[in-house]
Amino acid sequence: MEDTEDKQKTFMGKEYTLGKDGRKIIFLTKDEFLPFMKRLKESGFSHLSLITGVDRRDYIEVVYHLHSISTNEIVVIKVKTKDSRVPSVTSLWSSADWDEREQYDMMGIIFEGHPNLKRILLPEGWIGHPLRKNYDMDTPQYVNMDEDGEDYVTFDSGDGW
Amino acid sequence: MDSSGWTELNIGPQHPSTHGVLRLKVKLDGEIIKDVEPVIGYLHRNAEKLCEMSYYCDNLIYFDRLDYVASMIMESGFLEAAEKVLDIEVPERAKWIRVIMSELSRIASHLVWAGAFGLDLGMLTPFFYCFIQREKILNIFTEVCGSRQQTNYMSIGGVYQDLQEETITHIWEFLKQFPEKLEEIYKLFIKNDIFFSRTKDIGYLPKDVAIDYGVTGPMLRASGVPYDVRKDEPYLTYDKVNFDVPVSQKGDVLARFVVRFEEMRQSARIVKQALEKLPDGPYFNPKGKKSLMIRVRGNGEAYSRVESSKGELGTYIVADGSVRPYRVRIRSPTFKNLSVLPVLAKDTMIADLVSISGSIDLVFGEVDR
Repeated sequence: MEDTEDKQKTFMGKEYTLGKDGRKIIFLTKDEFLPFMKRLKESGFSHLSLITGVDRRDYIEVVYHLHSISTNEIVVIKVKTKDSRVPSVTSLWSSADWDEREQYDMMGIIFEGHPNLKRILLPEGWIGHPLRKNYDMDTPQYVNMDEDGEDYVTFDSGDGW
Repeated sequence: MDSSGWTELNIGPQHPSTHGVLRLKVKLDGEIIKDVEPVIGYLHRNAEKLCEMSYYCDNLIYFDRLDYVASMIMESGFLEAAEKVLDIEVPERAKWIRVIMSELSRIASHLVWAGAFGLDLGMLTPFFYCFIQREKILNIFTEVCGSRQQTNYMSIGGVYQDLQEETITHIWEFLKQFPEKLEEIYKLFIKNDIFFSRTKDIGYLPKDVAIDYGVTGPMLRASGVPYDVRKDEPYLTYDKVNFDVPVSQKGDVLARFVVRFEEMRQSARIVKQALEKLPDGPYFNPKGKKSLMIRVRGNGEAYSRVESSKGELGTYIVADGSVRPYRVRIRSPTFKNLSVLPVLAKDTMIADLVSISGSIDLVFGEVDR
């Protein structure tokens, strides 16, 4: 009963459902994603709180928590992607920069249009993306430093100094 | 601009003023900073993956180790989300105890910051004064849960054990002497000319830039935005206590210092009220008792925010009906606050970099997770 009621509610022309924490969840397709995010930004959602990638095994869900400081409201935007690619929102919010880099690092999501998409927590050259459900946790990887002071990844525990 | 004459300088990761393991790649033109690139991840242990792999009740220990100087707030942040996912109510007394512990934790955390910030600027004395006070709070924590920093005190559905009368007396004793001592510490800083010249008008952060970069907490409030989760979306029992949110319009390092000190005063006020209002009753929900803890199952998803000592701590939990969370995502406030450092440090003197990075209140357990 509640579900059918929820589905009739719309937020800025988009249908939403309510999450367990009472926040509005809006599902977007990849095509309508960027224009809608632009509209949200213009309507006062100036604070991009969090970007999360959720590995659902056959697809990846990218979740955006947008916060409006003036109205104190949080909306949750969800985009599904099968090829791990979503448009970057760095042009709208600067805070997306590090968040997207982190999600690329941990989840392997490629944010198209990100100016500097490289790993942030793990060193470059790390094999795999740890938060993927199929990440190989049995093969240890070691980080060493070469003579130029740059990090590199090796499978040999006795390598380097 | 011509970049050929710039000097590249590497600061850290092992450097006393980087508070742990921050590495800064700095490009200098003479003594002026032209570009800073923070390199992080040296303390990375992927807490999010560890949380996915363990039971809901075990997740708490990883949250303790995020911001290890304010672990009580981290626990309450996780539990805000976890209890929604697990459908477990928290008794009133437990909520008040959590407020008391969070606020004591906030004071302890700000005291560490103040002490370490003094050290960054070359002042040794305030450090000891801060740590004397912090030690008193840690003794209270030891009384309630048996450990100083990685407290693991709160548990799903309440707290691990009840607050004893003796502990309450000790908290009162602490509160009685604290305001006076805090003013003493405050004067140590504020009456020092060198401190003033190293903080005033340095590291200016405009309001819109701060919001754009997702900066929260005392740093945002020092830039003139009165955003505090405790007021805007009251969790626990913060809607039943009176306190003010300190805001400064200046946006420089000194403003962040003043805001943090005022927050400590307000925290002490909250603890006082919470102790007066502390109701009797159960301190945990029987649904979350120890023998049942590993069997609780979560459904749905929840995002919670709490005001940690560094800013807005967000926890996003996706559950799939099993005894372990499907996905845990931590919105680390210092991670966001650090991302604004290249903007703050641009075109300032190299000597001010330490003052600016110190004013962010970096704790690397939380940045790297």
